[in-house]
Amino acid sequence: MTEPIIVRVFDIAGGPICVSAEDGQRIHDKIAPLLREGKKVALSFEQVETLISAFLNAAIGQLYGEFSEEYIRELVSVRDMDPDDLPILKRVIENAKAYFRDPERFKQAIGEENINDDAE
Amino acid sequence: MIYYLPTIYSNEEGYEHLAELSKETKGLLADRLELNFSRVGFFDANMAAPLGAVLARVADDLNSVEIVDVPPLIERILRKNRFLTHYRYEPLDDSNRTTMPFRRLQLSDEGLFEEYVKRELRGKGIPRMSEGLGKVFKKKVFEVYQNAVIHSGSTLGIFVCGQFFPQKQKLDLTITDAGIGIRENVRRFLRAKISSVGAIRWALKEGHTTKEGSQPGGLGLKFLHEFIQLNKGRIQIASRFGFYEFRKGKETFEKMAADLPGTSVTIEINTGDTAEYCLESEVTPENVL
Repeated sequence: MTEPIIVRVFDIAGGPICVSAEDGQRIHDKIAPLLREGKKVALSFEQVETLISAFLNAAIGQLYGEFSEEYIRELVSVRDMDPDDLPILKRVIENAKAYFRDPERFKQAIGEENINDDAE
Repeated sequence: MIYYLPTIYSNEEGYEHLAELSKETKGLLADRLELNFSRVGFFDANMAAPLGAVLARVADDLNSVEIVDVPPLIERILRKNRFLTHYRYEPLDDSNRTTMPFRRLQLSDEGLFEEYVKRELRGKGIPRMSEGLGKVFKKKVFEVYQNAVIHSGSTLGIFVCGQFFPQKQKLDLTITDAGIGIRENVRRFLRAKISSVGAIRWALKEGHTTKEGSQPGGLGLKFLHEFIQLNKGRIQIASRFGFYEFRKGKETFEKMAADLPGTSVTIEINTGDTAEYCLESEVTPENVL
């Protein structure tokens, strides 16, 4: 079995605070080409101190728009993540799956009461 | 022009007063604004963030801005938190370290904001504020800041200011952008003429995001809401004509009388909270994806 390529989040984000969508995008841009080539990727969160959904949406969430859940599960693994951050990642992934199943689903009727009135 | 600012609390009325100031100064160009504080009986320090945003727009229209007749107690606080130093007042040392200083940052200054949070959160409520609580709070603050970076389109930057109340065991922090407001973002996304209150209501729903394209989102405000419910704190959002507050499990949505440009989010946390935020989780690295 081939060893996965380790993507060290700390190194690519440039530090322990992983909070910006821009940094998350850079992680995504490292992973996505590897997955397109069918390579295994291990995302290491070693030394990462602060992690938020805005970062994870960009880094991992958007992968679900290009690759299937099964494909991601087969090729991507997560390691060294603070156990407190795992539930956040889980929510990000669940949200991403729902989003890509139907990206237009939030553009539904918004209700009469929310339509602008003349005074605004 | 001379404008008499009234008392400003961190509530709907306070934001409405700032919206009035914004409205009244809108046509002022290459002129002078004298903001007179003599009628200000009280000023919640975190409100320096939205006031700073309003005044930045006035100054951006090539007006000179002067703040005068500030009552001594209010002047003390606003010099300690450095707000008044932007208007040619001398700073005062914050020896008790109870302020979260007023700062104006550009959207690209994310690194500076990280430093600000790291530096200024230290000593606030500690040792009472547990390490777990501090860590979770920090994440929520970054989520709010990221929202401003991603969605506001603010050319005047982002304004932050806060205050720690050791006796009351609470910490207020307001992050304001001078951008297009939640309403405009949601209108563009839904292509519908939604009201400001309706737009805030929409944005608070889990998974709702105005980001187009390949990035999902819409979790930051939801996570903030869940945290504040557990912490028994408070959230306020003021954006354009809309005001929202969540406290003690109750949500209120109000329409304001005037248009407050941009978006302000205030997070108030109960620093004496001893709840456990490092909950046992069934999620493991093996089953997370």
